[in-house]
Amino acid sequence: MILFDGKTYESSEQDRLLNELEERIPVILSKEQLSPEVVIDAVEQLRVDLLKGRFDDLLTAFPEDTVETYKQQAEALLSKEHLHKKLVTELGNTEEYVTDKIDGFSQIKVKKMPLGVLFHIAAGNMDFLPAYSLAEGLMTGNINILKLPSADNGLSLKLIMQLIEYRPELKDYIYVFDTASTDIQGMRKMAELSNAISVWGSDMAIEAVRGLAPTGAKIIEWGQKLGFCYVSKPGESADADAKLEGLAKHIATTKQLLCSSCQIIYIDTEDMNEVKAFAERFLPILETAVNGNATQEIGIRARDTLVSYTQRLKSYLGEEDRRDNVLRGKGCSVIIAEDSALELSPMMCNVLVKRLPRKDIGKVLYAHRYHLQTAGLICPDEDRKSISELFVQCGLIRVTEPKDMSAYFPGECHDGEYALNRYMRIVNIEC
Amino acid sequence: MKLRRKLFSSKDPYDCTKQQLFLDACKENFNHLINNCDDYKKICEGLDIHSSEDIKGVEDIPIIPTMLMKQHDFRSGRYMVMATSSGTSGKKSHVRFEFGALWSALKMSIRVTRYHGIMTAKPCRYIVMGYKPHRSNKTAVAKTAYLTTFLAPAISRKFILKHTSEGYKPDFESIVEALKKYEKGKAPVRFMGFPSYTFFLFRLLEERGLSFKLPKGSKVMLGGGWKQFYQEAADKETFYKLAKKTLNIDEENIVEFFGAVEHPILYTDCAYHHFHVPVYSNIVIRDPDTLEPIGMEKTGLVNLISPLCKATPILSIMTDDLGILHDGANCPCGVKSPYLEIVGRVAPDDIKTCAAGAADILQGVKV
Ligand SMILES: [Zn+2]
Repeated sequence: MILFDGKTYESSEQDRLLNELEERIPVILSKEQLSPEVVIDAVEQLRVDLLKGRFDDLLTAFPEDTVETYKQQAEALLSKEHLHKKLVTELGNTEEYVTDKIDGFSQIKVKKMPLGVLFHIAAGNMDFLPAYSLAEGLMTGNINILKLPSADNGLSLKLIMQLIEYRPELKDYIYVFDTASTDIQGMRKMAELSNAISVWGSDMAIEAVRGLAPTGAKIIEWGQKLGFCYVSKPGESADADAKLEGLAKHIATTKQLLCSSCQIIYIDTEDMNEVKAFAERFLPILETAVNGNATQEIGIRARDTLVSYTQRLKSYLGEEDRRDNVLRGKGCSVIIAEDSALELSPMMCNVLVKRLPRKDIGKVLYAHRYHLQTAGLICPDEDRKSISELFVQCGLIRVTEPKDMSAYFPGECHDGEYALNRYMRIVNIEC
Repeated sequence: MKLRRKLFSSKDPYDCTKQQLFLDACKENFNHLINNCDDYKKICEGLDIHSSEDIKGVEDIPIIPTMLMKQHDFRSGRYMVMATSSGTSGKKSHVRFEFGALWSALKMSIRVTRYHGIMTAKPCRYIVMGYKPHRSNKTAVAKTAYLTTFLAPAISRKFILKHTSEGYKPDFESIVEALKKYEKGKAPVRFMGFPSYTFFLFRLLEERGLSFKLPKGSKVMLGGGWKQFYQEAADKETFYKLAKKTLNIDEENIVEFFGAVEHPILYTDCAYHHFHVPVYSNIVIRDPDTLEPIGMEKTGLVNLISPLCKATPILSIMTDDLGILHDGANCPCGVKSPYLEIVGRVAPDDIKTCAAGAADILQGVKV
């Protein structure tokens, strides 16, 4: 299904509609700019209806506790106040201003403007991501072309249509296509209509997008990241046990699927015996957290079991690294590895434990600089500041408590930048 | 493969006394695989199963999930036919069959279909609800090849979908012509195919107000993947009614069977619509958390075991299905073996992850 000018069309009409869009874009660009207030109002109405339960039938595909979490997040994050705050945090002063007078030069008016046309390629890796990405594009006044992920179950389209229902003036700015990922022609055409391409996905996906983008198009990448937790002198740090429990809960609830999820626990040591001792200590903590978080839904449990088992067999085939030293618990495992590389774990509560003495942190983080994002930290209080500083100097973006590795902090950036800022440009007009 | 030959030559396809022979045939198959398939050997060693000595019961045989087969192509020696499963996300598994496997499958098909009165000495006319095998469609060829294993005594075969320059098109007119001709003849007609295609034909006939009185002994045989099987279960009543209305075929002459590319064993429903486990296979239902066997009457992952094939390690596989094994001893049909009920499927395996990077978009595409 395609959403175009507020109306839905069959997927087969894509070519015709893209040609029509090419005619429409200059007309819309010449109109008065879309105000963020319109978008904020539509999102606020969506939030109110969501909390009233108006979309409950759309959310039946999610487990009940997930729906609760989503609603709590929506209540806080989709509110007018929060969105206004987001605008200020991410864009700073969007009002125009005039530069100071310097002799011999003209003064200029400075202001932020939308990039123009944004093409969003949202991977299906997070629920609501396509709609969220689009909303950010709207808040910055851009015309948005959205390619839905192939796994999208119709939820994104429903939510977006709701926004248009609340504020029909949004329809000029929203074009949603369910193009197949293999339809290179179609995606290239969409890219050619755009000023910038916002792409969420793996290194491979980003590489492919770079390949199909016109040379002049700005590519806004939200790439794949790997999280880890650093443990230094757990014997000396206050309430280390509670922090490890927090880490275990984080692993159990995110199943290590998020960019910010903990894939590896690094131990500040060179001694493999310490690494092993830690693994043995952590396994029962992880097992308790995993069992406490076990879903009742047999289809999901069975799926997770199958995925873990398949992953395990692949390691025997040598397609995944062979790990000889695995401590297996019910529904989870702790994998001991001798190297220090930052890498993806088998996920689904199978965490890697490696050694990383403090002196090697710089070397390891530099080697993995493209994939750095979040680090949890367990250490004595007196070391906290110095290790945090070292992490951010070496490229990390977030340093958090272990339990909060995937938490959302209002005001936070995304991968080192504010999304809204990336969707705008600064213009100068001579006074 | 002496034991396989013996097992697949069993006179009674539901003989419950052959458990020891079944286990021994599995061990024989295991010995072949571990010596001829390096990947299989690696997996067995990883799972700490080093020889058939380590296999005390069928549940000890290393299990290969179809999920893995879709990601990894196992090879184990020479083969004659390669079948490809249809995958939902474009991933497919390849299963290769050697001559002995095909021969065993044929013997099995004859025994089972004879048992259920599908195959008689009387020659039949076949209408196949599917594709005519065509080089461009490997999946279809596999399915059709599977079906045709018991097409031996056919007078004629007609395929409802024909390959044209614009892809597959229903060849409706020629089916109607054929039905008009068959109605007057003596030979029973056999409709074979997947429930959806068959349903499609019935609906077309109904829409055009056409109905036929086919010769006595005519049957509708429904096969297909497990998935199709349970998804369409709700429509069964309508299906039976349409069969009666358009072709004058009664419910008892509608026989269902199913299998999977990764487990090409023929399961056929008895008069009470139960899919009893034949002598050629065993089913173990496993705990969705631990994969331990959980016995009968409980829902779990479905582990299918059969020593049919040498050329691919499909001795013990695990599908994405959730099922229950029921005690069949009291089924009035007389077959004593347990029967399988498929109750659902595991959640989709396109797990949402951004840590691994969603391979969802532009996967493998070179631009
Ligand atoms: Zn029965």
